[in-house]
Amino acid sequence: MKGKICIVVLLLLCLTMLSGCWSKKELTDLAFVIAVGIDKTKEGQYVTTYQVVNPGNVAGAKQIGGGASGVPISIFISTGDNLFEASRKASKKMSRLLYFAHTNLVVIGEGMAREGIGGLLDVLERSNQFRTTAKVIIAHHHSAEEVLKVLTPIDKISANQIIKTLEFSERTWGQTINTDVWKMIHDIASSGKHPVASGVDLIGSVEKGQRLTNVQVSEPDARLNLDDLALFKDDKLVSWVSGEAARGVLWVLDKIKQTGVTIEWNGKKEAVGYKVIRTKTEVVPHLKHGKPSISIDIRAEGDIAEAPVPIDLADVKQVFALEKMIQHNIKKEVLEAVKKAQQEKIDVFGFGDAVYRSYPEEWKKMENKWHEHFFPQLPVTVTVDAFIRRTGLRNKPYQFGR
Amino acid sequence: MEPYKLDQRQLFVLIFLFELGSAIVIPLGVGAKQDVWLAILLSLMLGILLSLVYLRLYGYYPDKPLTAYAQDIAGPWIGKMVAILYISYFLYIASRVLRDFGELLLTFAYPETPLFILNAIMILTVMYGVNKGIEVLARTGELFISLLYFVMLLGFVLLIGSGLVDFRQLQPILEDGWKRVVKVVLTETLYIPFGEMIVFTMLFPYMNNPAKVKRVVISGMVFSGLNLAITMTLNFAVLGADAVARSSFPLLDTIRRIQIAHFLERLDVLFMIALIIGGFFKVSVFFYASVVGTAQLFSVERHQRLIYPLGLIVLILSIAIASSYPEHIAEGTKIVPLYMHIPLQIIVPLCLLLICEIRHRYVNHQLGR
Repeated sequence: MKGKICIVVLLLLCLTMLSGCWSKKELTDLAFVIAVGIDKTKEGQYVTTYQVVNPGNVAGAKQIGGGASGVPISIFISTGDNLFEASRKASKKMSRLLYFAHTNLVVIGEGMAREGIGGLLDVLERSNQFRTTAKVIIAHHHSAEEVLKVLTPIDKISANQIIKTLEFSERTWGQTINTDVWKMIHDIASSGKHPVASGVDLIGSVEKGQRLTNVQVSEPDARLNLDDLALFKDDKLVSWVSGEAARGVLWVLDKIKQTGVTIEWNGKKEAVGYKVIRTKTEVVPHLKHGKPSISIDIRAEGDIAEAPVPIDLADVKQVFALEKMIQHNIKKEVLEAVKKAQQEKIDVFGFGDAVYRSYPEEWKKMENKWHEHFFPQLPVTVTVDAFIRRTGLRNKPYQFGR
Repeated sequence: MEPYKLDQRQLFVLIFLFELGSAIVIPLGVGAKQDVWLAILLSLMLGILLSLVYLRLYGYYPDKPLTAYAQDIAGPWIGKMVAILYISYFLYIASRVLRDFGELLLTFAYPETPLFILNAIMILTVMYGVNKGIEVLARTGELFISLLYFVMLLGFVLLIGSGLVDFRQLQPILEDGWKRVVKVVLTETLYIPFGEMIVFTMLFPYMNNPAKVKRVVISGMVFSGLNLAITMTLNFAVLGADAVARSSFPLLDTIRRIQIAHFLERLDVLFMIALIIGGFFKVSVFFYASVVGTAQLFSVERHQRLIYPLGLIVLILSIAIASSYPEHIAEGTKIVPLYMHIPLQIIVPLCLLLICEIRHRYVNHQLGR
């Protein structure tokens, strides 16, 4: 009898101990915030925009039906003196608890970025829900709120659309950079490197972009495009670089995975397309008589992707000549980026960190004057080794020898 | 004393789990910045020297725990005082580790659960284990070490595979010379976890093969020390010195950064496994040492009878020792090493050994005459 009572008591104990529902939250009580936008009002308050997934309208099932189903995302806007306050205040507007564990994107409005991010990202790394692997992007020409409102056609949730674009564009083209919150914080805190992030621009009208009709046409009225790179000085957005200079930044940061370089041939500009498959960049600091300098060694391997001009690619000499041109082009991009950064006195390349790692003693003397004095007049030499490994399924183009 | 005897492998497992214990999850020796691996290896060496002291004492009294031979060496009165000191020390450290464990879980996994509940569940498990005796603890250890090591290897492979490890972040080496490293060693890493080997003086008498103890202890310490050094080095290589310095739990941050192919991510559970296994064994070993020590000191026949009162003390102490996590950490890094670790891990054992050596030499001398 005594044994039986013991067992019953034990089982009851297990019931309370093993259930683990101390602070349970049902799925239907959570609002999954997929993206957070941060802007600032003129009064200095923060405006946070939460892009919340509307679960019923995401999975493809109802979408095909068209008109009847609603939008896949819902926007909630809240203001506060800090992000935490804003997020709690938002509870007045929604029926569910904001849940940040799945937040994958942080959009920062340009106005806010220009004023300075300051310590604002702290809450993102301090919180146990939020993940610092969330990507960071700057809303170019627009506020974060406007960017997050736009509905996108292929990936229904616009945050996912932006994230995927960031990822694939960095991987295949390399003029945008895939930065996350952690990297952003790391760079702001670092004394020898400045942050850099990609910008997203809104083409078209916000008013039309947030309606369901935006995704019911083959060419949406409003689109989200990634564009320039935002260069930060400490926590403040200072300037944008675009095009080849932007790619130059990524070359130096060793972020290029694949990209395309077009080469001039026989006076025809942008004739031959070179597909970069593999690259490696090494940044080596030197110190001579107390003066730092940097050498950048880039090694690129790739194929010929396109040759719309008569060129004999079976001829090794021609290929060598092409390689020279490629090296020249890449070098030009890199130097352009370096020049731009030096003009703006923004060390987004982490040259300061490189000097610190190799010459810690001397760095202590340079640290305070690095960005103002040393970096802008830093001698930078670039050497590029580019190799054409293959020429695709054809050797000579069909126009050759005509 | 329980009749059960530990074999070499079991002692090794206990040492390994104990040494990694909480050390692997807390920011251990981060004051040394990227030279943390040097600090850990240096403290490993000094820690082995310290444990040679403990082993030498054990050599004189191979069938007695520290609390018993302290009385033989220093006489019944002072010896009993020393024994009480050590028992309270083990109890206190057990409650500190329990608090660490609770705080860690609260901070990142159970923000709304009271600390008391988490600590109570953990100490109940520990009490159950200790109640079952050293044999059960050791065998559980044999089971869990494979899981823990699998998790560590998995984490290691995933970190390397995700391309997060940037060894440049470990440069510059020794930017301020040895000063910073030595300071960290002497204030922190020597005592936690290596000096804490003092608690094993309570377990050595359970060994079935006293001749092998020295080998097992040193290999266990070296193996766990190397693992610790690798783990902390990886933290720095992944996060960078600045982020590690700001982090409450660097290993958690490191694991959280793993992202492979959009589905191998958010692997916090690896950290949880390491934390719970390590925490359990560290608390258990300290708690077991204090229980058998008390039983021995007060001649209690069945040490199991002491588990409930002492367990309750550990639980309440773990809540009461600090009102906040920063306070807990400040006590642990500023006060505890100075007033507890240094005297009880270094000074008292050295004094005991000195008295013991002199007495033995003197006695032998007399006998020889």
